[in-house]
Amino acid sequence: MFTFGMLDGALFHIGPIPVDHIIVTQWVIIALIGLVAFMATRDMQMVPRGLQNAFEALIVWTYDFFTQLMDKEHIAKKYAPLLSTFFLFIIVSNYSGLIPGAGNIPGYQPPTANWNTTLTLALITAITVQIAGFSEHGVHYLGHFISPSPLMLPLNLLEEITHPLSLFLRLFGNIFGEEMILAFMLYLVPFFVPALLMGLSVLLAAIQAVVFTILSASYIATATGEGH
Amino acid sequence: MIRKRNVFMILLLTLIMTIGFASLAYASGAGAGGVIPAPEGHTPKLFNWYAIGWTAVNFFILLAILYKFAFDPINNMLEQRTNTIESSLKHAEQVKVEVEEMRKEAQANLAESRKQAQEIVARATKAAEDAKDEIIAKAQQEADNIKDKAYAEIQAATEKAKMELKDAAVMLALMAAEKVLERAITDEDHKNMVKNFVNEAGDLMC
Repeated sequence: MFTFGMLDGALFHIGPIPVDHIIVTQWVIIALIGLVAFMATRDMQMVPRGLQNAFEALIVWTYDFFTQLMDKEHIAKKYAPLLSTFFLFIIVSNYSGLIPGAGNIPGYQPPTANWNTTLTLALITAITVQIAGFSEHGVHYLGHFISPSPLMLPLNLLEEITHPLSLFLRLFGNIFGEEMILAFMLYLVPFFVPALLMGLSVLLAAIQAVVFTILSASYIATATGEGH
Repeated sequence: MIRKRNVFMILLLTLIMTIGFASLAYASGAGAGGVIPAPEGHTPKLFNWYAIGWTAVNFFILLAILYKFAFDPINNMLEQRTNTIESSLKHAEQVKVEVEEMRKEAQANLAESRKQAQEIVARATKAAEDAKDEIIAKAQQEADNIKDKAYAEIQAATEKAKMELKDAAVMLALMAAEKVLERAITDEDHKNMVKNFVNEAGDLMC
């Protein structure tokens, strides 16, 4: 049976708290990323080799990337770990939907195809942006809500809402849509054609992870930048 | 002109379409109680607060795990690497300076050695020169001594010869006088005569 978003709801309960299918998948993803990170940094060498080299390159790449994106290096250093975590979590979540069985095996539902996950990530970004703005500019940060004139207050507030909203809906829409199309394509043309589409999905999954991370970084950069 | 690659692409597309239509026919036939059922699904329920809470918790757990196993060790390693590279560069710079110093020192030493060697050669030359002069002077002196000695000997021999000659002359003169006079000459006469004769003869001979 081809499904998309069917495994929505509780797989089991811990006391009164339900544990959804996507939460179990998230645990597996976290364990996987943690394991790779542990293996990569278990025996750090001065001259990196193999897994350590690859993982270091990834982390350093995100660091450099955010440093270039943000003008202030200390801000980039401060928030790069959060952004790298966004990137790793989202990309692995996106790819988890491409493995056969996703959405059919209980406890295996790609997290980013569920908008509760993307909403949470977008909310984390939104809160981080406000915290970053306050910690960088103090009370003056509030000034940017009435800049350039108090008349702009509603629009500025709207902007603060639309940013996370766009993050939330973009990621969810892309991944959920991709899963849905894959399910229908598998039904219509079971051979070969879905493979091409899955190839595209590999690209799409990476692009969406990068887009989410870059936009989060740019929101943080805007909130901490000059002009507030 | 149709190239080989284009032919391949056309064949591939035909194959895909054939498989596609075949499977479409298969699936639509199967739809009415066949093998492959139509996909089902719905958008997940939004504002599932438990899921949102769990996701937030999971995300921060992942962040903590990555801090422990990725960001901290990698940052430390990067810092360590930066330090190592910096110190290596500094060390290299220091070594360079040291080498330059050593080179200068070696050059100075070489110049000094050369100077010393020249001095030694000069001193040796001077010593040899002095020795030569001394030897020559000594030889000269010895030659002079020998010459003087020889001269003195010659002088002495000449004197001796003169004396002997004088004695012989005296004897001859005595004998001649005795013969001429045929008488004994007094000692006084004798002496005066001889003296006069010898003096005249000596002045003539010498």
